[in-house]
Amino acid sequence: MIDDHPMIIEGYKNTLLGENQKEYQIKIDIASNCDDAYDKIQKSSQGTPYDMLFVDIKLPPSSDGSITSGEDLAKHAKELLPKARVIILTMHREDHRIHNILKNINPAGFLIKSDLTSSELLLAFNNIVKGKAYYSATVNDHFRKMMTNKFSLDEKNLKILYHLSRGVKTKNLPNYVSLSLSAIEKRKNQIKEMFSIAKADDQKLLEEARKRGFI
Amino acid sequence: MNVRFFFGYVITLILFVFFGCDKNEIIEDKDLKSNLIESYIDESGNTKNSVDERIRNLEKAYSIYSTLINNTFKVEKIQEISFAYFALDDKENYRAMNEKALKLSREINDSLNMAESYAYLGLYYKSTKLDIAYENFYEAEKIYSSLDYRKYEQKNYAFDRGKVLIDLALILRKIKNYSESESLTIRAIENFVLAENNQYLPLCYNNLGIISKYTGLYEKAIEYHLKAIEYAKGTDTEVLQILSSYNNIGTVYKSQKKYDKAKEYYNKALAYKDFLYKNRKREARLIDNLAYVNFLSNDTSRLPELFFKALQIRENINDKYGVATNTLHLAEYYKSIGQDSIAREYGKHSRDISLKLQKNEELLKVYLLLSEVSDSDEALFYANNYIKLNDSLIKEERLFKDKFARIKFETDEIAQENQQISRENEILIIAILGLTALFLLGYIIFRQQQSNKELLFAQSQQESNEEIYRLLLNQQIKLEEGRQLEQQRMSEELHDGVLGRLFGVRLSLDGINQRANDGFTEARNKYIDELKSIEKEIRLISHDLGSESLPSDVAYIDAVESLISDLCDANEINFEFNNDEDIDWEVIDDQKKVNLFRILQESLQNIFKHANAKSIKINFDYIEDKINLTILDDGIGFKSTKVKKGIGLKNITSRVSQMSGVVQFLSNQDAGTKVSVSVPL
Repeated sequence: MIDDHPMIIEGYKNTLLGENQKEYQIKIDIASNCDDAYDKIQKSSQGTPYDMLFVDIKLPPSSDGSITSGEDLAKHAKELLPKARVIILTMHREDHRIHNILKNINPAGFLIKSDLTSSELLLAFNNIVKGKAYYSATVNDHFRKMMTNKFSLDEKNLKILYHLSRGVKTKNLPNYVSLSLSAIEKRKNQIKEMFSIAKADDQKLLEEARKRGFI
Repeated sequence: MNVRFFFGYVITLILFVFFGCDKNEIIEDKDLKSNLIESYIDESGNTKNSVDERIRNLEKAYSIYSTLINNTFKVEKIQEISFAYFALDDKENYRAMNEKALKLSREINDSLNMAESYAYLGLYYKSTKLDIAYENFYEAEKIYSSLDYRKYEQKNYAFDRGKVLIDLALILRKIKNYSESESLTIRAIENFVLAENNQYLPLCYNNLGIISKYTGLYEKAIEYHLKAIEYAKGTDTEVLQILSSYNNIGTVYKSQKKYDKAKEYYNKALAYKDFLYKNRKREARLIDNLAYVNFLSNDTSRLPELFFKALQIRENINDKYGVATNTLHLAEYYKSIGQDSIAREYGKHSRDISLKLQKNEELLKVYLLLSEVSDSDEALFYANNYIKLNDSLIKEERLFKDKFARIKFETDEIAQENQQISRENEILIIAILGLTALFLLGYIIFRQQQSNKELLFAQSQQESNEEIYRLLLNQQIKLEEGRQLEQQRMSEELHDGVLGRLFGVRLSLDGINQRANDGFTEARNKYIDELKSIEKEIRLISHDLGSESLPSDVAYIDAVESLISDLCDANEINFEFNNDEDIDWEVIDDQKKVNLFRILQESLQNIFKHANAKSIKINFDYIEDKINLTILDDGIGFKSTKVKKGIGLKNITSRVSQMSGVVQFLSNQDAGTKVSVSVPL
């Protein structure tokens, strides 16, 4: 279990160890930062590998700066422990982040902390142990929205929409999205065309994006 | 109608004819009067009439003259009249006429005629009052010397001036100022040469000759006298000049004691018998002189007959001067041959005439002679008389010289004073002009500097305004940045810290709750759900805090709003402020922002000070590329015509015009005031 909040780890433990200790023999290692986590993952890959990893996205980065988040850590873990099942637990529920995590890690479990209850955690755990993937309702919702769209927006476009919706002005977007202003303008126009609302203003664009579930 | 027209025509015609006649009359009048004057003058010269009648003619001429208009022509006329009086030997009227001429020519500023009049007056006094004559001639000469002769007919000018100069010279010779007389004579000669008129040259040389004799330059004297004859050659006065010059040459030789030469010249003169026959006075003088030279050279062969011959002629023609000299000569003669009693008789006779005629030179000689030929008592008496007279003569001479010097000095002084005054005036005027110019220059420079200063001041005020605004804005931006940074931090803290831990707690509680079977599970679940909703709320707060919900250019509007709210709170007035979202304050230049800020400030001050308002409404609107600032209050308002533009309104107006915008002050009594500013982007 990798989380920088000991309270959360305790929450996980309290849930899993309470009901499930009769069915499964659960041994838990904990890490509160990337360095610690990476060390343990590497050690286990040479010894007894972990069966399951609980990974938080927001983590204190590694001291050498190579691993900055749970996302990076999960990627390493997939390589080091190919058989381990990765469960992502995060506070972030923004579509583009969900989208990214699904795409980059394709975790066996994807739980949004704010949705999570103890029973749901148990349910997810049981499903994953049985080899089934489990996603939070929010994540599933995201999936559904993605499927209903005939097209998908790439990460950059989603980011643009996300920051616009936060009230960032177009001209400040280059600070948030690593694109030039003209490239951003071009992408905005492309999105508008895709939404078949060309020549509409930003207000309309955001409205449509919300309706279509991109925000 | 017809009648009126007719009358109008007739009147016009009459007027026309009348005026036409009048004009002709004036011209004819002048000619007529001139002719009349001429004819009266001519008539006065008619020797057939009696003197009284001739004078009456001149009086008639004068009465016509006095109706003439003042001009040069009139001056000429009165001068002509004066000549006629002169010809009639009426010297008093001659003088009166010339005094009038002088006054008239002074009135009409005719310098040339003024000089002439002075000269004519000089002529009047010449034989009676030498000093006044001198004064007049001197005035004439002064005018001539001050005139620019190039402006006048040069020959006439030089001739007239020459005449004045020789007159002055003659007077000076008479008072024995020989050196000055000589120099004046030479100047007179120069003028006559310039005038190409030899008429007065003999007189000039004659004068030079006499002066030379007195100063002992005998050779020169003779030379001058001969020259005088030369210049008289071929003229009417040739013979007269020859006689006079020979006489003078004789006298020169007599003074040199060259008696033979003297006799030669007297005899030469006496050879002009025909002429002398008609000029007995001259003949008598020549004979007397010849006799006296004979006497001096001890040639007594024709003595005393020659003396008697001369005396007889002189007594016949009643030449008293001649008689006085003649009898003196006779007295000397008789004294020399020892007949003192006869000498005494002639001496006394000469003395009586000389006393009567005031012939002092002769008188002096007579006294000397009488003192020698009389008895001791009488001799003493005569000697005393001689000394007294001699003293008084010397004194008189000195007085005369002093008087002349004073005349010259006084007239020069007046001229100098005039010059001085005019120079002082000039200096004063120049000084005043200079000072005025200086003052003006100073004033202009001062104004220039002042306006420069004002400009500089306005500029620096502008700059400081902008600086203030920049600082204000910077402060606002920093504040904003700080706030955002703080919000970000709070957002992250909430999201990652508080929310995480809350989630952990909830999960733990939930986990434990699943296992507990004490009948309170449901109740706890309810609180766990509550915790979940708290989490959600915190997340939303965090989201709100973290998002860039405020545009970055909000800083200006923040500054504006804080200005309004600070001022309104301080003055306890309600306010409403609206800012049009379409205004992109970031692209508007600082100058405009500062100006709008200041206008707002100024307007609010006005409202607080004068309006007595309860609420204010302020709007920034964006309409057709223009920013419209409207400040509306519900105060007492003012009558726009009554209120003079104070410095506040002026400032607003000038700021608006700086931005090439438009401002409107709308107000009605008790209906509040609306200030509308419209500024193009």
